[in-house]
Amino acid sequence: MGRWQALFWLGPSLALIAAVVLYPAVALVRASLSRYSFTGVRQGSVGAANYARLLEQEALPTVVANTVLWVAAIVLVTVVLSLGFAQLLTEDFPGRRLVRWALIVPWAASLIMTAKLFAWIYDYYFGILNHVLLSLRLVAAPVDWLGNDATVMAAMIAVGIFVSLPFTTYVVLAGLSAIPGEVYEAAWVDGASAWRTYWSVTLPLVRPALLVAVVLNVIYVFNSFPIVWTLNDRNPGFAHDTMITYMYKIAFKSSLRDVGLAAALGVVNVLVILLAVLFYLRTMSWREAEA
Amino acid sequence: MTRALTALAALGAAATLVLGACDRGPERSGGGDKSITVVIAEYSKEHTKPFWQGLSEQYTKQAGVKVDLRIIDWNSIDQQLSTMIQSNQPPDVLNLNSFSSYAKDQLLYSADEVLSAKTRDDFIEAFARGGEYQGKLYGFPILSSARAFFYNKDLFARAGLAGPPKTWDEFVQAARKIQALGGGVIGYALPLGPEEAQAEWAIWMWNNGGDWKSGDGWAINSDKNIQTLRFLADLANRHRVTQINPGKTNRTDGAFQLFKDGKVGMVMGFSPLASQLDAEKKVSYGIAEMPTATGQAVTLGVEDYLMAFKKTGNQDAVKQFLDLYYQPENITRWIAAEGFLPVTKSGLQQMSSNAKLKPYLDALPNARLVPTTDPAWDRVKLDVQQNIGLAVQPGGNPKQVLDQLQKNAVAAAGSR
Repeated sequence: MGRWQALFWLGPSLALIAAVVLYPAVALVRASLSRYSFTGVRQGSVGAANYARLLEQEALPTVVANTVLWVAAIVLVTVVLSLGFAQLLTEDFPGRRLVRWALIVPWAASLIMTAKLFAWIYDYYFGILNHVLLSLRLVAAPVDWLGNDATVMAAMIAVGIFVSLPFTTYVVLAGLSAIPGEVYEAAWVDGASAWRTYWSVTLPLVRPALLVAVVLNVIYVFNSFPIVWTLNDRNPGFAHDTMITYMYKIAFKSSLRDVGLAAALGVVNVLVILLAVLFYLRTMSWREAEA
Repeated sequence: MTRALTALAALGAAATLVLGACDRGPERSGGGDKSITVVIAEYSKEHTKPFWQGLSEQYTKQAGVKVDLRIIDWNSIDQQLSTMIQSNQPPDVLNLNSFSSYAKDQLLYSADEVLSAKTRDDFIEAFARGGEYQGKLYGFPILSSARAFFYNKDLFARAGLAGPPKTWDEFVQAARKIQALGGGVIGYALPLGPEEAQAEWAIWMWNNGGDWKSGDGWAINSDKNIQTLRFLADLANRHRVTQINPGKTNRTDGAFQLFKDGKVGMVMGFSPLASQLDAEKKVSYGIAEMPTATGQAVTLGVEDYLMAFKKTGNQDAVKQFLDLYYQPENITRWIAAEGFLPVTKSGLQQMSSNAKLKPYLDALPNARLVPTTDPAWDRVKLDVQQNIGLAVQPGGNPKQVLDQLQKNAVAAAGSR
């Protein structure tokens, strides 16, 4: 009886999980094993052929490399900067509340809006970035940030960092405020320098929060669509796509226009992110056990 | 163990419930509560929705059938349609810029099945032909537009140019003189980025005597076309009379934006650009024929389509809806409001007195359509959009790009 009652209370959330997690996952796998016409009519099953074709795509190595760079650079820089910001925000100073509020803004704004805004900031002819750099004489001629193959990835990563900072900073901030004051007193009594305290007390104690921040950021950044899509929309080909935008282009924007192939990449994307997170969690728990 | 099993069973039950609720597909034909789904692309925020909403209300009053009207913006319409068709819930009436892939998949009614004879006879011949697949009309013309050559009169005067260039040689000279004015002024804005590269390319290609196809086969990498693409690459890299990175510039927020800002001497535009320029009153512009290397200026005509999807029991309802739209006062009222060009003989008659439309209507006889009647075109278009820009980048190889496009086009022609 008790068991059935529990089920009654769990029912709605189980139904929700089935509808928004299980069903799409099953549909995705099914689509990845099917052949579709240009318009989207399912034309039967093809087994694993879509996965084999995926490996044959010329753009795949570039796209994978872009994705690794995109995720690694954003997460690394974001975490390092967030450690600094969070440290600053734990200090008591006049206007701290205002700064904490201001930090939320890039997080609260819609990603599409932010990306569009940056597209104009970076613009070769109208953008404010070139204007500022030219006035400061930091560059001799304007730069086409989003059109130049050498700068477009860095320009997108900068925006990715900008929008990831608030969340990460707040997670680290929460971790910092959970550290009891006594350990700092003990370090002070032992005569530890500021650096030594940070390195041997703060950092180890904030590690659980960092772990959460890294895992969640890897997932968010890997899955991020709007920034790359908006800032890269002018560039032909797949030279600056990540696996997420590549998937969308395969399904709807490239001459492949193939839902089955895109679904196969979708399945791969899910597996990649699962593996990355599992790997990370394992190494962290292994290190924790060793420490 | 039993607990896990129970949980699993509960999950399964819940899933069935939810899926059952989602799967209530095209049940609309039965019962008294009939309705049709109409998907329309958003041409403008001001006019598209009000017109189709009004038309739907009028239709519901006449036919007693409800309309589920969905206005979808161009950026996401392909994706949303693909999703509808994958889940086996196509719309009843659809407005899009392509039709032949849907006809090939046998999803559509032909004109004989859902249009009255009067409507069919009213279509302008060329546009009716542009909607045919294997000899039958499936893509019903909904509206048309034509590109025209826009030039900035102030910049032309400053550069000492008497009038718009007629030949390619004159065009290069004009572009160089304007570029030489300095101060960030650009001779010609060339948008070969992914948004609409196929349109820009088609105009240049035709004005050098080339074409997409030769007979029934694709001819994208013909000698003429290679020559044309080299000419465009030279504009960017040798003469340096274009904006920066033309292969990575889109039309709406790139080339048009620069022209509206008065920075550009020449650009290929169309009537909506003219309305924006008129509203902003910043640039004094003229409209002319395309510069040509063959002596006969050709422009690009664009035809968009309405199509009707085959579903059990929807034929009459769809027919009534289409006949209502194609009544001369309805179709012409909408096309005029959006600033596009007619597709019917009656509409042409009514609109020919409009002075603003004169340059485009004059160009219409020399307008050519891209090969939308070939289902392979839908892939070729996407391929051109994604790749042709690479040819005009520094170090780009026009021949190699066109060879690859040709290879893919031939493969697309043979694919399902």
